[in-house]
Amino acid sequence: MTMRTLVVFTCAGVAACGGAPALLVAPIPAGTLQPTSIALEDTTPKEDLRMVPPEVTMRTYLHLFGALAPLDFQKDARGRDGSGLFDTWDDYVAALGFPDYRLDVPRQTQTNALMVATFERVGVALCDRALEHDWKGTEPRPVQERVIFAFDPPKGNVSEADFAPRFDVLHRTFLGYPASLAPAERTARFYALFETIAKGHTKADPKSRFMPDEAGWAAVCYGLTRHPEFHLY
Amino acid sequence: MTTRRTFLKILSAGAVTAFAGLPSRRALADVAASSESEFFVFVHAAGGWDVTLWADPRNEARGIIHPASTENTDTSKVKRWVDAPLAEGTRTFELVRPAGSNLVFGPGIGDLAEMTDRITIVNGLAMNTVAHPDGATYSATGRHPEGGRVAASSIDTMLSNELGREQLLPTVSIRFPSSYVGDNLDRRVVPLAIDDVGSISRTLSRTALYDASGERDEVTALLSEEAADLAKRATYPGVLEGMGLQYGGLHRMLSSNLQDVFSAGGLRKAHPEFDYKSRFAGGPAVNAAFAVESMKRNLVRSVSFAVGGFDTHGNNYRTHAQLQQETFDLLASLVRSLDATPHPLKNGAKLSEHTHILVVSEFCRTPQINLNLGRDHYPNNSALVISPRFKTNVAFGRSDPEQLLPMKAKKFADGERAIAPPDLLATFLAAFGVSPRKYMRDGEVVSELLKT
Repeated sequence: MTMRTLVVFTCAGVAACGGAPALLVAPIPAGTLQPTSIALEDTTPKEDLRMVPPEVTMRTYLHLFGALAPLDFQKDARGRDGSGLFDTWDDYVAALGFPDYRLDVPRQTQTNALMVATFERVGVALCDRALEHDWKGTEPRPVQERVIFAFDPPKGNVSEADFAPRFDVLHRTFLGYPASLAPAERTARFYALFETIAKGHTKADPKSRFMPDEAGWAAVCYGLTRHPEFHLY
Repeated sequence: MTTRRTFLKILSAGAVTAFAGLPSRRALADVAASSESEFFVFVHAAGGWDVTLWADPRNEARGIIHPASTENTDTSKVKRWVDAPLAEGTRTFELVRPAGSNLVFGPGIGDLAEMTDRITIVNGLAMNTVAHPDGATYSATGRHPEGGRVAASSIDTMLSNELGREQLLPTVSIRFPSSYVGDNLDRRVVPLAIDDVGSISRTLSRTALYDASGERDEVTALLSEEAADLAKRATYPGVLEGMGLQYGGLHRMLSSNLQDVFSAGGLRKAHPEFDYKSRFAGGPAVNAAFAVESMKRNLVRSVSFAVGGFDTHGNNYRTHAQLQQETFDLLASLVRSLDATPHPLKNGAKLSEHTHILVVSEFCRTPQINLNLGRDHYPNNSALVISPRFKTNVAFGRSDPEQLLPMKAKKFADGERAIAPPDLLATFLAAFGVSPRKYMRDGEVVSELLKT
């Protein structure tokens, strides 16, 4: 092939490409995929509930109490009022299930009665100090600065309608989801607890630092910090 | 070629062999029925003890054995150390031979040498490990850990599950390697793991400045209901049901005013017979006082605690004999205290007649003294039993005279071999009518150790 022929062919090819109409591919509607079989999704849990590791429980306590360091929490929980609400973390770490690396004692993975007692001891300290911090200061504390009781207590008699939205705040704080998604009787059950405590508090504990309604809200808080859903997952 | 007949013969022979070491089910049931008011104390000598200073004494330089001597041991505080010649100006100890007994001890045995008619020694325990967590777990459960995970329940949990579910505090574990693993276990017997006895008091104390005990009980009752309701909805209700039982246990604990009794100060006052000022065993003495007090009040089924400080790789070996002496003195005081305490349920019976003590460690220490004048870890061991159900004044098992390694103790179902922790624990269970196979994979009952 001569040089002249090659040039002619090249020019012809270029001319042919440039002049051809654009190639159109017509869209075809995508068909729906037909299921070959239908199986229900199995959402049941495949193993028993486990205890939240003690490190997580303690971190949660610290976070709820205002994101303090352990020693600061201890200082605040003990207070300077000789109340005996709290001792030291050292007194509770073994009962809370922490491992002891000095003695190769492993982390506890099951709750026991003494651990449940420790949950109460620590939970009561947390709730009582939080209620004092949130509601009993010399000046009213803005809601956004409160650590647990981020609502104003209703004045006068507390009806279930007054109680429910406030309980929901606490329920979300401790258990992480709205009370409306919990078993239906939970709100009513906690309301009954609130009423019982508030009505009988003056007689049950005449020297208490809490007013009856405050004692009722503190009891609700105790119940949630010690709740099975708080300690198991 | 194996015929069907041969195969069946082998199979039946295997089955006979496997069950040869186990007492019959009926015999176990009879013993179990009579064991429901027994109490148990388990002690862990944490760190690995030197058996040549007490149960398996060596006072001659033989083979690889370097006996304890005045060169590496502070003998001034060891009551039963009597000098005996060793070599080149150093002196070792005379063997301790209690009158009227065939048992021979080293000087670390302390006051327990006066109680040979009540003790059982097991020597030459094959540990197959020199790692602390492994040895501790193996001694308490009869199983080596599986990749760091404990594979079986500990002996205190097993016995409480069988004989102590209804007790207020079935299993109290003070720094003991207790574990709760496996099926067929009641959630009430999860070991109550604590750091020290005083923490029970601090955990149970409540202030009345904010709320009253009745109000806290209302909360606990609500939580019991919540746990029960959640359990009804759960696919696996076991853990939630267990937590419901524990809320009930909490109510009983708090209403029993235990916090007043179980403070360290309260126990020291109630039990002056223990030496709380001793250098090494002063702290554990409070645990022993707790054991006596809680058994006297019929609150527990088993109390387990550790005596630490046995891990003496260096110069701290100088006080190892003293540490042993204080530990065994503590046990002797415990036995005397139990002698003086009436059984809470059996009229006229002493608590010591129904209390059973097992003392274990992770392993023993090397027969050689190392360059730091201490001893390292060695895969042999000894154990001590103080129990009316065991033959007393007896030492079972032995170790090599030159190597201190476990030697064959008897013909077991799987052939002649040394005794091992699973055998000792299986024997302990069988003594109380508990079938070892319910809890343990390994181990064979050593009938030579049991009275009946």
